[in-house]
Amino acid sequence: MSTPALAEAASSPRRKGRPRVSETASPSLVQILNLVRSGQATTRQEIERYSELGRAVVADRLGTLCELGLLNESELGAAAGGRAPRLVRFSADRGKILVATLDQTALGVGIADLGGALLMEHHEASELTQPVSSLAERLTTLFRWILERQGNPPLYGISISLPGAVPDGGEAVFLGTTPTVLPGWENFPLVETLVEAFEAPVWLRSSVETMTMGELHAGAGSGHRTILFVKVGKRIGAGLGSDGALFRGAQGAVGLIGSVPVSGPGGGGTLEAMAGSDRIAQEGRSAAERGASPILAEHIRRGGEITALEVAQAAQIGDAAAIEILSQSGRLIGQVVATLANMLNPALIVLSGSIAQTNDILLASAREAIYGACHPLVSRDLQVVRSQMGSSAGLVGAAIVAIEGVFSPAILRDWIMAGRPQAHPLFQRIKDDIARKRLAEESTVRPPDA
Amino acid sequence: MAISGLGPHGERASAPERVLLLPEDMARARARGFRVAIVLHTLASDWAKQQLSGVIGMLGDCGVAVIDVVDCAFTPEVQIEALDRLIAEAPDAILSLPVANAKVAAAHARVAAAGIKLVLLDNVPTGLLPGKDYISLVSADNFGLGKIAAECLSPHVPEGSEVGVLGYEADFFATNEREIAFVKWMRINRPDVRLQVRRFPSLADAARATRSLFEDHHDIAGLFVVWDTPSIASAGVLSTLGRRIPMVTVDLGQDAAIALAANNSLVAIAAQQPFRQGETAASVTVSALLGRLTPDWVALPGLAVTAENVVESFQTVWRKPAPREVLQMLSLVSPAPLRNTPSWQEPSGGL
Repeated sequence: MSTPALAEAASSPRRKGRPRVSETASPSLVQILNLVRSGQATTRQEIERYSELGRAVVADRLGTLCELGLLNESELGAAAGGRAPRLVRFSADRGKILVATLDQTALGVGIADLGGALLMEHHEASELTQPVSSLAERLTTLFRWILERQGNPPLYGISISLPGAVPDGGEAVFLGTTPTVLPGWENFPLVETLVEAFEAPVWLRSSVETMTMGELHAGAGSGHRTILFVKVGKRIGAGLGSDGALFRGAQGAVGLIGSVPVSGPGGGGTLEAMAGSDRIAQEGRSAAERGASPILAEHIRRGGEITALEVAQAAQIGDAAAIEILSQSGRLIGQVVATLANMLNPALIVLSGSIAQTNDILLASAREAIYGACHPLVSRDLQVVRSQMGSSAGLVGAAIVAIEGVFSPAILRDWIMAGRPQAHPLFQRIKDDIARKRLAEESTVRPPDA
Repeated sequence: MAISGLGPHGERASAPERVLLLPEDMARARARGFRVAIVLHTLASDWAKQQLSGVIGMLGDCGVAVIDVVDCAFTPEVQIEALDRLIAEAPDAILSLPVANAKVAAAHARVAAAGIKLVLLDNVPTGLLPGKDYISLVSADNFGLGKIAAECLSPHVPEGSEVGVLGYEADFFATNEREIAFVKWMRINRPDVRLQVRRFPSLADAARATRSLFEDHHDIAGLFVVWDTPSIASAGVLSTLGRRIPMVTVDLGQDAAIALAANNSLVAIAAQQPFRQGETAASVTVSALLGRLTPDWVALPGLAVTAENVVESFQTVWRKPAPREVLQMLSLVSPAPLRNTPSWQEPSGGL
């Protein structure tokens, strides 16, 4: 069946009587595509075995998927006695995903293929406190620049990582409106703006969620099914990768461990307040002022500012006061994470954030607290490592979020016959709604300026 | 000067001072007898030569033997072959300037997989991660260089005019950052200016790209070229077209320094510090070989160079006197007829 015919079949209204070929073919197409995409099956024989479909059906569906450009059979595998089998591969370059990470002080953008491989990325300083409209404009400009540099490839989705929990509004398929994520963002239609500008479905997740996905699929968590990801910065948050997928909880607010009350020397407070980067910086300044840290005192004397990074660097070159500050922070984080580990039994705990990544002391101290407080069964094979992906984890993870969304069987079956997710009826409806709303806004008669 | 860009994975920059080697570090390195190989994109440009002398000099101070220096001639295949050959030699570390992104990624990943410490210069191939696949990236603050170029061009560009941007078609971290920063600065600070971007796929195409840009946009009143060698080609085209418009570029090559002093079209240069960058890359390598934690990204600030400070900037950047033509143009020496070019004056060219 030719591609226009497939598209027509997918978009024409449902009739009574026998089901259309497109309706009967969709489930097997979805099944075969995902068997190949996940790497479970790489030859026709393996597809037949895992899908339990007949040879003729597999051949027919493969023909369709190759015609749609989603699979290819151009490579030959190793022969095992007879003729070399033709390998069936997912065409990861069939489309691209635009990705972005927004955090308190930086904006990262990139583009990934449908396998989640990042093809290009750029990061720049950007204050989250600026108006959301300016941020959206910068994001759009950088996205357009990347698309132009990549030769304007077909876009399958846009996925953005945000510095706050993204409420799970129970959206079954695609986002049609912008959920309230951050203060000051209530009235800005970020999702609608991106859908209009790029005509692609949009996903939003918290930075901890996307980084968890990034580590699970391309970082330290590759090959593990259950990981716990902990990001240490001004805020402290955790993400859970369970059975290879992101665990989002009831409302998308998983892992807000920064608000857990803890007690340390000199009182108690939330984990963020007692062990976050603001506390590390504050303790560093205080150590410099009372003469306990010669390195930090010298830094201030030369006009330098003390942030958590300076404390971490001082600790790294042996400053005793800085070492104690980071050890204390690591201990408190480790105690809270140990409780989570006892509950969840992860195979791996990844510590991330600039302090955890550049400093061995915080990691060592957290590790000691985790192993010390975990049940022997939990700690027996547990690894505690630092992230090696940095902000790229957020971009890669954001791409995986969109890819998992686009290719989830429930969504895939409604666009597969057209070969691109934009053909999904619900996305069409969302796009039309946004266009209608925009038209209504533009046609509203405004009162004359005073 | 503050670093304004972020690293290839969003890293905050570390200053070169972070990897300063103390006399005891050098003594420890000398006692270990390390072997290091260097793989550069080219050995033909002044920038590459200066960076190389910075690396080799510092490694020499630490008793580290440089066992090979490879010129990849901007060719990914040559770089891949060189890296594979060097892996077999099993040096303790390789310093490499990746000439491409995806094409050379696997070869660079094989270096770390073979247990050899990899220090990258200026560019990170797609997908490679610090700590896992390489030790550190040492580069200029390329975002800052683009910003300096825009700040310097702005006063020369009339209100409401068009400005051309001549970028590099290859996906290269350094030139991407310069282009993004230049465009961003102009959009924020000179919203009246219309930007026209054109990119050249190779150095040989720079003149053609310039000609096509100016044929399509006759009113361009200012030009930014992402590094100095293509900017010389652009200046040649503009001269042929009889156009004299203000230009800015990156890298203080010899020809660019002469053009700057001549007070013709070139009004400013955002300069890198290749010698210092080379020394820093060597310090990072030795620190890593001694088992110390090294920053993911070490960045060196750029310098804003105009005709007023070209002599001292040239000395800072190249560690040698400014070309005699520059000194003559600025009336710092008598306008005596030129002697034969001294040996320290070599063909220009950055990147």
